[in-house]
Amino acid sequence: MTPGARESDLGRTGLIAVAGLLIMWEALGRLDVSMFVLPVTTVAAAWWHLVGDGTLTRAAASSLVSLVKGFVPAAVLGVAVGLAMGRFATVRHLLDGWVNALMSAPLSALVPVLIALFGIRDTVVAATVFMFSFFVIVVNTLTGVRSTDPSLVEMARSFGAGEFALFGRVYLPSALPAVMLGLRLGVVQAVKGMVVGEMLISLVGLGERLIYYGNTFLIAELYAVIASVLLIALVTSQLAQALDRALIRWK
Amino acid sequence: MVVALRAASVIAFVLLWEWAARVPISFNFPSPWATLTALVALLRSGAILSATATSLQSLALGFGIAIAVGVPLGLVMGVVRPVGRVARVYLDLLIALPTAALIPLVILSFGINILSSAVIVFVFSVPFVTMNAYGGVRDVRPRLLEMAHAFDASRWQVFVRIVLPSALPMILAGIRYALSRAFVGLIVAELLLSPFGLGRLIMASRSMFEHDRMFATVLWTLLLAGVALAALARLEGRLLRWRT
Amino acid sequence: MAPRPVEIVVDGVSKAFGTVQALVDVHVRVRAGEFLSLIGPSGCGKTTLLKTIAGLVAPDSGRVVVGGRTVEGPGRECSVVFQDFALLPWATVQKNAEFGLLLRGVPAAARAERARGMIAKVGLAGFEHAYPAQLSGGMQQRVGLARALAVNPQVLLMDEPFASIDEQTRRVFQDDLLQLWSEERKTVVLVTHSMEEAIYLSDRVVVLSPRPGRVHQVLEVPLPRPREGAGVRATAEFARLVDDLWKVLRKLQ
Repeated sequence: MTPGARESDLGRTGLIAVAGLLIMWEALGRLDVSMFVLPVTTVAAAWWHLVGDGTLTRAAASSLVSLVKGFVPAAVLGVAVGLAMGRFATVRHLLDGWVNALMSAPLSALVPVLIALFGIRDTVVAATVFMFSFFVIVVNTLTGVRSTDPSLVEMARSFGAGEFALFGRVYLPSALPAVMLGLRLGVVQAVKGMVVGEMLISLVGLGERLIYYGNTFLIAELYAVIASVLLIALVTSQLAQALDRALIRWK
Repeated sequence: MVVALRAASVIAFVLLWEWAARVPISFNFPSPWATLTALVALLRSGAILSATATSLQSLALGFGIAIAVGVPLGLVMGVVRPVGRVARVYLDLLIALPTAALIPLVILSFGINILSSAVIVFVFSVPFVTMNAYGGVRDVRPRLLEMAHAFDASRWQVFVRIVLPSALPMILAGIRYALSRAFVGLIVAELLLSPFGLGRLIMASRSMFEHDRMFATVLWTLLLAGVALAALARLEGRLLRWRT
Repeated sequence: MAPRPVEIVVDGVSKAFGTVQALVDVHVRVRAGEFLSLIGPSGCGKTTLLKTIAGLVAPDSGRVVVGGRTVEGPGRECSVVFQDFALLPWATVQKNAEFGLLLRGVPAAARAERARGMIAKVGLAGFEHAYPAQLSGGMQQRVGLARALAVNPQVLLMDEPFASIDEQTRRVFQDDLLQLWSEERKTVVLVTHSMEEAIYLSDRVVVLSPRPGRVHQVLEVPLPRPREGAGVRATAEFARLVDDLWKVLRKLQ
């Protein structure tokens, strides 16, 4: 199992733990332990202010657009490639070396290459999002197809199923849980790619705001943006989980 | 047959690259050969090796501490259930957060130096080491614990002889994954931080439009990460020989 | 209505997998409407033989003729019941029972009705919307049987269908199978490990020799029918037949 694949399941313990953290944070902030530890209330105020003057909304909008522009192609292409690789050994042998290598590689090293290709533009962010999520989706889809119970394939063949029927009625439904897992992991990676990409080109979006507030020592605002990024990460993750639960009810 | 296909895909990639270098999509896109010669030049001049040394220093420091802190923490979380339940929430949040977002904060707090890089590497890798150690302890087969109880084993014996060996595969898997995350953190930190290590070399080459040197350094970095991960995987295999 | 059962002729079939010779020159003739069991030590190729009849495995030499036509792939005359049930875990009992009909292009309404009828016939009425994970082994196999019967086969091929089911459930199931079979006569070929099962269910038992498998002996089972619920297992005749079969098998071990 991929480490970190556990979903954050905020139960009662969760809420208490988070509340405890916030209280401790507030206390430490007030005690002025360090200039870099600010009370939660100060951060909340800064956050509210940024939402009010539109900075945060504009940045978040730009980020989310890049996220969608990068993730949707990654999902569509990733599932397609994963299915092809799972079903056809030739395709698998051609591509699996690359896919496996790139899945655990520090893809952030390739962002400068993307900048060289596209210039300093927001397309780079979408491309980074794509890159970060594509391989995870391919690998999980591929695994899903390959772990189809051969007994089911034989059974379907015994009833006269041809290639199309086999694919649509056995391989695909069988692989669906794995595909959904890949998409869930892919979304998490996509958000990370979004932040990394934006920080490296430092042009638009929440990533740019992180760099800016860091450079200008506006710490409360910096925390506010970090919190926003976390919020987006959590919401997208929960959405993906909800979709997963909605689609797969038979387990 | 398989080997032929794999070789074919590598050749196809190199050809594709060569073609991309000739098509004027963006100026100064280096060809495979230009990248290779640039890499050799960088190796000769020692630039890439000293950058690697700097990078590896940060990596070793941050990653080493992540293991030293993460594994015991994970074990404690697994053994003392209430601690585990609470700490797990924080770790889940940390894992959900795009860690790169914390980089400016770290740089502000620790300054522009190797310590910052190490801290960033630490933050990137420690959640996975910890969560996997935790998971490894939690997922010990209850039947084995039952068996040890039947032989009246002490709590310490159960921990050392059943829990630890049982959790080891997951701990090692977590360390391996954390290493790949550590590299990610290292590179992002250095690309942003400059003036350190391989990241700095990449950014410097880019800003001077020496794209062939940039590509060469990127390639070198990816290879470095690949080799490190492969080495760790080999070590893991050796330690877990009982798993056929 | 139900189609006539047909004859199966296995004519000199041989099959090897790599260097392993599974079957050598097997000749078997199954009469139309007969219940035949295949039994033999592990590795004797009985499942392979069943699969050649089903058209899932192509023989290296020889041929299989079902109802006068040479088998060249999975055909409409045969239906298979699998040892591990092979139910689609993501589909309900109803959808699983319809699966064979679906693959053969039967329209939705007709499918649903026929499947529902079969589900009732195998004693699972009311479970149409359950998922396989919610059912016991015996119930899952009943779905497998319903699926196989729904396509109205002339031949029913069963690959150790009761092996993964506990004994009590198995006995009930065996009686139900005989009951269904007596209502709609089909040619049945059953692969089994159990001597008792082979004698109880069949008209004839074919014993295959250990690898490479060939027909070692064919035993007649002259027990009267119907056998279900008639206390056949307690008769001396039954015990004698099982013992005869055991004597044959023991020499092959």
